[in-house]
This record gives sequence, structure tokens and C-alpha cells, in this order.
Amino acid sequence: MKRLAFILPALLLASCDSAPQATFADASITLPDDPLDLPDLPGRDAVIGNCTACHSPSTMLQQPKVSREKWEKQVAKMIEIYKAPVDPAAIPQIVDYMVAVQAEQAAAEQGNVSRETSGQAGPKGGLEGV
Amino acid sequence: MDGGKLTRRTLIAGAGGAALTAPVLGQKLAGHLIDLGLPGGPSLRPLTPAFPGKGEMIVQRIRPPLLEAPMSVFREGVITPNDRMFVRWNWDMPTSVKAADHRVAVGGAVKHAVSLTLDEIASAGEHVSVVAINQCAGNGRGLSDPRVTGTQWGNGAMGCAKWTGVRLKDVLAKAGVADGAARVRFAGLDVPLTDGAPQFIKSIPMDIAMRDDVLVAWGMNDEPLPLLHGFPLRIVVPGWFSTYWVKMLATIEVLTGEDDSYYVAKSYRVPAAPITPDEKDFETVAITAMPPRAFITSHADGDVVAKGKPLVLEGIAMGGEAALAKVDLVGERGLEIPCSLGPDEGPFAFRRWQVTIPEVTGNLAQIGVRAANVNGAVQPESLAWNPSGYARNVIERITLRAQ
Ligand code: HEC
Repeated sequence: MKRLAFILPALLLASCDSAPQATFADASITLPDDPLDLPDLPGRDAVIGNCTACHSPSTMLQQPKVSREKWEKQVAKMIEIYKAPVDPAAIPQIVDYMVAVQAEQAAAEQGNVSRETSGQAGPKGGLEGV
Repeated sequence: MDGGKLTRRTLIAGAGGAALTAPVLGQKLAGHLIDLGLPGGPSLRPLTPAFPGKGEMIVQRIRPPLLEAPMSVFREGVITPNDRMFVRWNWDMPTSVKAADHRVAVGGAVKHAVSLTLDEIASAGEHVSVVAINQCAGNGRGLSDPRVTGTQWGNGAMGCAKWTGVRLKDVLAKAGVADGAARVRFAGLDVPLTDGAPQFIKSIPMDIAMRDDVLVAWGMNDEPLPLLHGFPLRIVVPGWFSTYWVKMLATIEVLTGEDDSYYVAKSYRVPAAPITPDEKDFETVAITAMPPRAFITSHADGDVVAKGKPLVLEGIAMGGEAALAKVDLVGERGLEIPCSLGPDEGPFAFRRWQVTIPEVTGNLAQIGVRAANVNGAVQPESLAWNPSGYARNVIERITLRAQ
């Protein structure tokens, strides 16, 4: 089969002169299991029960540290926009849980930072330029 | 589940079993952890080849899949292999598609609505290929300072591939665009789990839809589109953010007015004019075309380089909505050196750049590369902060230590 390839740098669209046949076979994949991994703190069951149907827990766990009010807004967004069927009684537990998880994450991060800076001077120490 | 939709009851029932087994994400997926260096963290993510058809990818989310390419993927060439292209789904994705059963409905403001098989799509017009960058609108969001919520991507939610298909305008011609057509909207097979939740549908203006390089594509780097990338068909809009490149294309709808659907009218929007993080009420516009960007790929922040020796730096750059014009190495105290550009694979592709520093005399503090496109758009010195962390294109800087 003869084809126009990307020989010319300026060529944006390459037309295939011999109308190559596009063939479509069925496709199917198996995605990895989602282990629903969430730190063991009070309110975990409320989060698993209300917040893991549409997305993995990493959606919550990867967020930067935000205020309690922001977590309340996040839960409200899930309910109002994405129609998450959240048990109203569980909302305070979910918010408490996320605030507690982020406090733990921040403490761990602090630990990492102080370990790093206690070692050799970081890249920003004593620079001279080119 | 009743009809696949979510109710409180099915939700709780579904979660119960899984809750009993909660192994660590990293362990379960095997692989190891990578540090994305997000300011303030959390920064560690699993790096694993656990997804079908994918090599080592950073797992931002298992379900629906959000996979990011580690920056090492961009060290060579301009084409991102299919197994290293980032993956992004908003809602659960179907995991199997029967080719013979698939139809693309073309309707709305058309002369005669049609429902096309894959073969009918493939014979709608000339087969064309375009090399184009596919970049998530939120690429680099996790590096925002101050931080913002959303998927906490590093800079690897991008890639460049050769896309093959037919022109969208040829597919539209099968139905005949009616008078008054203003936009073309796309929907895929991915649908929300809950009634009333917004489906991920996106639209582009008519003049963009009629462009010669806007495709209904089935080929990605000369292979069939993998399911994770939207098999059997996806929209390709070179120069525009990936959010418009609707995957598993099932519906094409011609609109006569504005699109008031959620992912166009409410989400994927940026401030119309620059704002500060404290501002609350501001006009927004839909995020559309991409700005220029450039990355150093030969070295990472904190790498050690040889003092007294020449240093070759290399990387990739993109012009965004228009061809790349130039790339400069920039640093402190007015350092500015033009870089030489590698082969041109077309205006919407990555292009490699290279620069040699004749002699390293000391640490190279806060160096970066600054791309400009032929329309005159230049990467800014400081971040155009926005509350959703879209369209990051601040100059990315690293520091190299001389030893
Ligand atoms: C009905 C489905 C659904 C349920 C249930 C749900 N969410 Fe979401 N959530 C979404 C969708 C859709 C997104 C956006 C996903 C994307 O952009 O990929 C999202 C995103 C998020 C994000 C990321 C930030 C953002 O705004 O995009 C957070 C945090 C979040 N959800 C928290 C929660 C919490 C906490 C709960 C439980 C109260 C919850 N979600 C339940 C659908 C849901």
C-alpha cells in the first residue's frame, strides 16, 4: 500500500491515496480493581457508603488541604450537580473525616519536609548563576 | 442496580463488600510511588503498568481512570506512544464496545438525521492524518499556587499522537447541515450514574467544526484507538484542549444557538480577565485553544551537572493553537539564550528544542524555557492563576547544581 507519510515538514494533513481500509474489531478491557483504600479514622464508613460509587477514594485523598467550609461545599456540589444520593445525616461525619484525613496528611508532609531540609543543602542554597 | 442508575440502596449495598477488603492502593496495584512535587502535598502517586494496554503510568484515580505520563516519557521524540498517553474520563467508561453494533447519530439542525455505522463513517470522506497534541485543560493543576481542588495533575496530562480518520465536515455532510447552524455538540458512550446529573457532552463553534483538520478519528499512531482513549471513534480538534476531543463518539448534534449544557456553560471555564485568588465575582469564558508551553526533559529539578564543562539541555515545546515560533532558555540576572528547534511535524505537534551552555560556572538557578507561537503568544513569567487551575502555561523552572 502506497501512502503519503510525513516527509515534508510543512505537511499538516497527510491524505492516504489508496483509501486504506479502516477495520473495526470488537474491543474489551478489564480495569484494575478499586480497593477503596481510605485511612482508618472515624467517619470512614460514611465516606465509603456515600462517596465511592462514582469515583475512587483518591479523588478525595489527593486534594490539597482546604477548609471545613470547602469540604461542605464539595459535598454540596456532589449532591446538587452530580446528584449524589448522600444521606443528609452522614454529611457532618464525611466532612469531619475529610478534615481529619487532611490534618494527618499535612502532618506527614511536615515530617517529610523537615527530614529533607535536615539533610544536605537543597538546590536553592548558595546559587551563583551561569 | 435498577437500570444501571444509582440509588442510596444500591450504593450502600455495593460498597459494603468492598469495604471489608481495603488494601493499600500502592500495594494492590504493585509498581512503586512517584513524587509529583505538588506544593504542600499530598504528592505521592502509584506508578504502575497495571492498566490494560498501558505502560508505567501515574495513577491519579483508578475509577473512572485518570492516568498521567511521567515526564520521562517526553525525553525522546515528539510522538507519545499509545501506552504512555494520559487517560482521562469524567464518568465511568464502558469497558467493551461491539464494533458492528456501534452507531453515530447525526442530528439536530440537519436536513436529514442519520445513524451511521463505523464503515459508513470510514467511507464518509478522504482519510486524513494529523499529528496533534492532546492536552487536558487541567494539566499542571496540582502545581497551582495557591492550590485549587480538582484532579491534581502534574504536567503529564498531555501527549502527542498521529490521529487518523475522516473530516468531521464530511460526516456532517452525510446529514446535511441546516441553515442557522451555530455549534456542533458531541456525546460519547460514557454516561452519568445518576439521573439528572450532567452527561459529558461538549460542543465547538461551526467554523471550528468545518476546519480541514478537525477529525472523527479511529486511528492513534497507526493503531485502532484503544478503549481507554475512546474506541471506536473520538473527535480531534488540533490546537484545542482535550476536553473537546470527545471519546467513544456516539452522537453528533448540530445546535442553532449557544450551548447551555453543564460542561460548556458551567464548567471548563476560565476568568475572562486576570483575577487574584480573593476575587469571587468575575466573568468567565469557555476554555478553548491552547497557549504555548515548553519543558526541559533532559534534566529534572535538583539534578547535578558538571562544573567547568559545557551543558546540553533538551526538551519539548508546543505553540498551542498556532505553530511554535521560538524557544528561549531563561534564568536569573537576565539570562536568555535562544534554543535551536528540531524537526517540524506540523503546527500542532510537539517540537524538540536544544541549547548548549558553553561552560557551567556555577549552579543554574531557576532556569526555564519560554515558548512563543507565531501568533505572538508567549509563556508568562508568573502563573495566570484561576480557581479551576486550567490552561497552566507559566514558564516551568528547575534548578541544577554544579559540582
Ligand atoms: C453521583 C456520583 C458522585 C458521588 C456519589 C460523589 N461524587 Fe464526587 N465527583 C463526581 C464527579 C462526576 C466528579 C468530577 C470527576 C472528574 O472531573 O473526573 C467528582 C469530583 C469530586 C472531587 C474532586 C474535586 C472536584 O470538585 O472535581 C471531590 C473532592 C469529590 N468528588 C468528593 C466527593 C465526596 C466527599 C463525595 C461524598 C459525599 C462524593 N464526591 C460523591 C461524582 C460523584
